[in-house]
Amino acid sequence: MKKHILSIDDEADIRELLQEVLTIKGYRVSTAAEPEKAKKIVKDDPPNLIIMDFNIEEGDGFVMIDEIKKIGPAIPILLLTGAVFDRTVVRDTIEKKVSRYLDKTASLNTIVTEIEKLLGDPVSGPGNTITMRRAP
Amino acid sequence: MKENIVKRVIALFVLMLGILVYVAVSAVRNIQHSIKSEDWVNHTHAVIIDAGDILSYLHAGDAALRTFLITGDKRDQAAYRNDYNTMIEKLLDAEALTRWGDEEKPLHQRILDLQVLISNRIDVARSIVKSREQGGLDGVRALFASSPDVESIGKIERAVGNLVGEEDGLLRERDKQEHLQAQATRMTVYLGVAVNFALLAVMLWLLLDDLAARRKAAQALEDANAQLEAKVQERTAELVKTNQTLKQENLERRWSYQALDHQLRYNQLIINSIAELVFVISRALNISRVNPAVVHQTSWEPQDLIAQSIERVLQLPPDTASGSPQNPLITAMRDGREIQERPAMLLTRSGKTTPVHFSLIPLHDQDKVVGGVVTVRVPNGAPPPGPT
Repeated sequence: MKKHILSIDDEADIRELLQEVLTIKGYRVSTAAEPEKAKKIVKDDPPNLIIMDFNIEEGDGFVMIDEIKKIGPAIPILLLTGAVFDRTVVRDTIEKKVSRYLDKTASLNTIVTEIEKLLGDPVSGPGNTITMRRAP
Repeated sequence: MKENIVKRVIALFVLMLGILVYVAVSAVRNIQHSIKSEDWVNHTHAVIIDAGDILSYLHAGDAALRTFLITGDKRDQAAYRNDYNTMIEKLLDAEALTRWGDEEKPLHQRILDLQVLISNRIDVARSIVKSREQGGLDGVRALFASSPDVESIGKIERAVGNLVGEEDGLLRERDKQEHLQAQATRMTVYLGVAVNFALLAVMLWLLLDDLAARRKAAQALEDANAQLEAKVQERTAELVKTNQTLKQENLERRWSYQALDHQLRYNQLIINSIAELVFVISRALNISRVNPAVVHQTSWEPQDLIAQSIERVLQLPPDTASGSPQNPLITAMRDGREIQERPAMLLTRSGKTTPVHFSLIPLHDQDKVVGGVVTVRVPNGAPPPGPT
């Protein structure tokens, strides 16, 4: 059965691109732009991983993280944002709230590798990020 | 290769056919010769038998004639006449049997000679019978005393003996020829069959060799196909890999573009949200970028300020700290140092001046100052720009 990933981002292009890449990788991907839809997905179809931006339509990233943790405390969260945080802030604050933080300027390869690590999947390795993987 | 083997097989078949025809013709000719020879043998035997019968009937007729001469009995007379007639029939048969063909001519001549002798002999018999009828036994005795018949019988017996002996010789010669002919035919047949078997063996070898060559060629073709298939698969795998790499690069590029665009818009949003006036300047103090607060506070449009000196909107006092009469921004940029909260006058588009404080942060790129960011703070209570 395919692992389920929820992508929360206010940028439609970012959501669609992530969905395309992760679908190629063999994951089942749901997307949401606003908090209510995201929370409903977490309740109804709990994902194995949540990838979210700090900026969300009609919402706040920190509040959203707290609400998701209440619904699914065991679900790992990868914060993928363009709001560059100071490294100290990331270490002392952000990484205490989420499983992993990545800047949006990180390469897609790096992002996919982190996703695989968080899901406990074999890491594809450099240059193999987009290689089609058989569904488990 | 294929045409060669076909030509060779056809040639061998033609050769085999030729040999078979030759053997068949030889056999037919031998059969015909045998039939002809058998006819001749039968015919010759018939002549020999006739010759023997002539002599036998002659002796029987003579014996019956002597009996008649003694007894004068009509039955004896009928007996010798019958024997003589049969002898004549046999003679005529022999004459008829030898009448045709060049080969029979000498024999026929002998038969004719024999006919003359027998005719003479019959004439002698007639004269004896006549003597018996006219002079009785005495007349016959007187006739026998002259012994004219003894010689004629001896001649007939020698002629018949010669005829039979000659015919036996011919038969032996013919048997010898027949034997040789049969041997030759037998050898021809055996040799033809043997050669045909040899040709068949050669043909079989050729066909087997050709089959082996074809099998080898087929195997080579199969190997070549397998190699080609492997190469195609290898090339396909390379293409698939290249395609995946291209897809990956494309996705990476799209992601980079999206991320940078997002980042740029986010940064722009932050800058545009700053209430202070922000000028990005070059080392020559020319403005390269302003934020919306500048437009709001000075009524200048960005296009009026870009590429213009910052002195157009910001009048700076001399740099008293360094004691230089130069614009403090120039000296600070040259030295790569910051300026914090210095007084200055902001010039609006309408020519109105407003007292402000400015700061300068030089922009360093790999230890070189490539420009700077000037921020201008309008003190609280300063009026916004009025109409021109």
